[in-house]
Amino acid sequence: MTATREIVTDKRDQFAFHDDIAYLRETKRGLTRATVEEISGFKDEPEWMLQFRLRAFEHFLKRPMPAWTDGLDRIDFDKIVYYRKPSEREEKSWDDVPEQIKATFERLGIPEAERKFLAGVGAQYDSEVVYHSVREELSKIGVVFMGTDQALKEYPEIFKKHFGTIVPPEDNKFAALNSAVWSGGSFVYVPKGVEVPLPLQAYFRINGENTGQFERTLIVVEEGAKVHYIEGCTAPIYATDSLHAAVVEVVALPGSKVRYTTIQNWSNDVYNLVTKRAHAYANSTVEWIDANTGSRKTVKFPAIYLRGEGATADIISVAVAGKGQHQDTGAKAIHLAPNTRSRIVSKSVSKDGGRATYRGQLKVAPGATNVVASVRCDALMLDDQSRSDTYPYIDIQEDDTTMTHEATVGKISADQVFYLMSRGLTENEAQNLIVQGFLEVFTKELPMEYAIEFNRLVKMEMEGSLG
Amino acid sequence: MTAPAARPRPARRALDDLSLTVDEEALEALAASSPEWLAADRRDAYARWASLPAESNLLYTPYIDLRGAALQGARLVGPSEVSGSRGPVPTLLDDADALIEVIEGRLAGVALSEAAIDSGVRLRGLTDDLEDVREALVREHALPLTDKFAQLTRAAWSQGVALDVPPGVRLPKPIVIRWALGAPDRALVTRTIVRLGEGAVASIVEELVPSPDPRDDEPAQAYFAGTMEVTVGDGASLQVASLQELPANVVAVQHRTANIGEGSTLQWALAQTGGRLVRSRVENRLVGDRSSVRQVEIVFGAADQLFDLTSYTTHIGRDTTGDLLSKGALLERSRTYMKGLIVIEKSAHGTDSFLGEFGMNLSKDARSVAIPSLEIDQPDCRRAMHSSSVGPVDETQLFYLESRGIPPDEARKFIVLGFLEPVVARVPLASAQDRLRELLEEKWIAGSGDVSRAAA
Repeated sequence: MTATREIVTDKRDQFAFHDDIAYLRETKRGLTRATVEEISGFKDEPEWMLQFRLRAFEHFLKRPMPAWTDGLDRIDFDKIVYYRKPSEREEKSWDDVPEQIKATFERLGIPEAERKFLAGVGAQYDSEVVYHSVREELSKIGVVFMGTDQALKEYPEIFKKHFGTIVPPEDNKFAALNSAVWSGGSFVYVPKGVEVPLPLQAYFRINGENTGQFERTLIVVEEGAKVHYIEGCTAPIYATDSLHAAVVEVVALPGSKVRYTTIQNWSNDVYNLVTKRAHAYANSTVEWIDANTGSRKTVKFPAIYLRGEGATADIISVAVAGKGQHQDTGAKAIHLAPNTRSRIVSKSVSKDGGRATYRGQLKVAPGATNVVASVRCDALMLDDQSRSDTYPYIDIQEDDTTMTHEATVGKISADQVFYLMSRGLTENEAQNLIVQGFLEVFTKELPMEYAIEFNRLVKMEMEGSLG
Repeated sequence: MTAPAARPRPARRALDDLSLTVDEEALEALAASSPEWLAADRRDAYARWASLPAESNLLYTPYIDLRGAALQGARLVGPSEVSGSRGPVPTLLDDADALIEVIEGRLAGVALSEAAIDSGVRLRGLTDDLEDVREALVREHALPLTDKFAQLTRAAWSQGVALDVPPGVRLPKPIVIRWALGAPDRALVTRTIVRLGEGAVASIVEELVPSPDPRDDEPAQAYFAGTMEVTVGDGASLQVASLQELPANVVAVQHRTANIGEGSTLQWALAQTGGRLVRSRVENRLVGDRSSVRQVEIVFGAADQLFDLTSYTTHIGRDTTGDLLSKGALLERSRTYMKGLIVIEKSAHGTDSFLGEFGMNLSKDARSVAIPSLEIDQPDCRRAMHSSSVGPVDETQLFYLESRGIPPDEARKFIVLGFLEPVVARVPLASAQDRLRELLEEKWIAGSGDVSRAAA
């Protein structure tokens, strides 16, 4: 490949848009103790939540910026608006949603998705859930799917029991930030033995220059219950950097099964710093299916703590890093109980000077006997301007663990391209097909309409790559 | 036997805190007695030592533990304590071409075969002709500038070995470099410079053994820092085997660096069995086109031993090859950290690089950590991969051996020693190879009571 060749044209801006919304309430730029109190006041929260926020805020101030990844020092915490409420209350039906916001969602295709077989829709517009509907049958079987703020009011016992127990504010600097100023996100509760028949989905969007998005998602799945949660993101493009620091907590009680699927496609000015963690109790299964194609920088390592005997963890992490992007992603599996299993599969593509980093941790603690674990990382580099790093941490403290780890990095094979071209494909089509095949381990885990969307996204990224 | 309580119990320390006090006056005296260029080099190094963190690579900061070192009593060994020679003068056996032995910092003697003398091979103490090794001592990549302990070595070394193999010389038999040490409360800091001329072929066996000096039952700890700073000329070939069987009171810090020239090859076979705490770093720079490095490293740990091993391999030239393998078998409460980083620079088209890190925990209290990392700026490579595994003794292998009439204990021993064989087989000196096999077997027998408990 020659250095001058334009590998990929980024057409993501075709899908970006920015509406002028009259914000009803927002905090001043910057973060102080008063901001935290103000947010809690806006939301009319119980005292314990205010104390939780303040404790997190204190820790955020004390905690140094992580030094092991670069570029985070460019975040200016003083320029960010930490809370912004686009409409006064949670809307019960689509008709009540303000026209302008509705138009935005129209472009994202939510109503259409709603018409299909989706179980529920929770869309986050800036900092609050504005539209949320749960299908009749879900309410009937006792499944709760609503905005996190609303859940704090309506289900205080379940909420207080689990909130902040999986990711405590002291976990890391950005978990502390989220805990101090969180707003919005989804709350899912699945009662004992209930299997949610269809995936629950939430669309998340950032709008507004320098709006911080600090959603907080809590998923509690009772014994023997089963759920699949899907989130996908798009965000408008702005000139200055936006910050997204989310926390996702998943509690998978004994015998339950949870799958959490993410397609992250923030615009290229967003810092996406997410703490995602699940606790998997005895004989439960937790799956993180995670794709990152957007953002300027993503730092995200979905983690599963295998706390109960016989628990299973499955993490598929996919990253595409284009021009100016750094995807610092990976996975963590922490084995704390006997007879637990984990599998991590990571696939990354870097191109046009992008950088894809796999960072992962696999730990077997003393007492976690008979663990079987595997880690597989593959990286594809499409040109020599790009960079690919692999940093796996494997820490085994038992004598009967079976652990395997493999990683490879390479370019698209010229033989494969030649073969496909000899079958009548153009060079671009051939490359696109190879990249899609490379990422198939992820795509095949998606519901069909998402798989189509994701393949379209990849194709779009690859288009004109040999122009 | 004196009660161990006679020595004060060390205070609780941070993971990255090495309990070694470096006497600034002794360092300054060392600088003052050195030629000006060397004094400047030492002072520069000391400034770096003073300002660097114990682990400057942020990838590895969670995995450092220097608490096993209790060096409160250790004193830097100065030039006066290493000058002059001490006996007995070693005798060169038929199976080697040259031998140098240093006992507790003092040179015991140097012996060269006639073939070695005739071909112009030079093996000597590092301070014998400082001007001759000046460039090698101060060159940029001699010792890593961001490594705190490498900089202490650069600042404080008082003894060393220099080996030169002239261009075109092919030595059939290995050169033996033997360090005998372990006297308590000493901090012996050394450097070793190895230079192979164009097209030269040589092999080195480095032996790190207990000194014959008497020690009490529970001797105080000693610090030993050693290097092997290798320059492999174009088209040359060097094979290095190292057998580390230091006594249990030694904290060893090792730095091995190599600059590998065009079309040349370097092989490392490193066996770590001794010491209390061993921190080793190997740095391979594949500078020349078509250069290659092959590195195998084994650890056989027991008791409270900690082996903290890092290897950096940087591909710079075109069509270079790196093949690195680390294996650790761990008994009792021993631990190993295997950290590896392969860097493929933009200039390194056609790289073939492999890094493997494999652990075998033979006890419930053992711990093995593997961090095999890759940083790649050039996708045009033949292969860039790493692989790692940790597992118990393979039951199917055990079953196979037992079905052939081998008792279970024997079978386990075969499997574990077989796991470590890749390094043993690459020791180029038959007597050293036998010695290593013996050592591993002794260690297995000593620690296997623990293993049968774990298996039960």
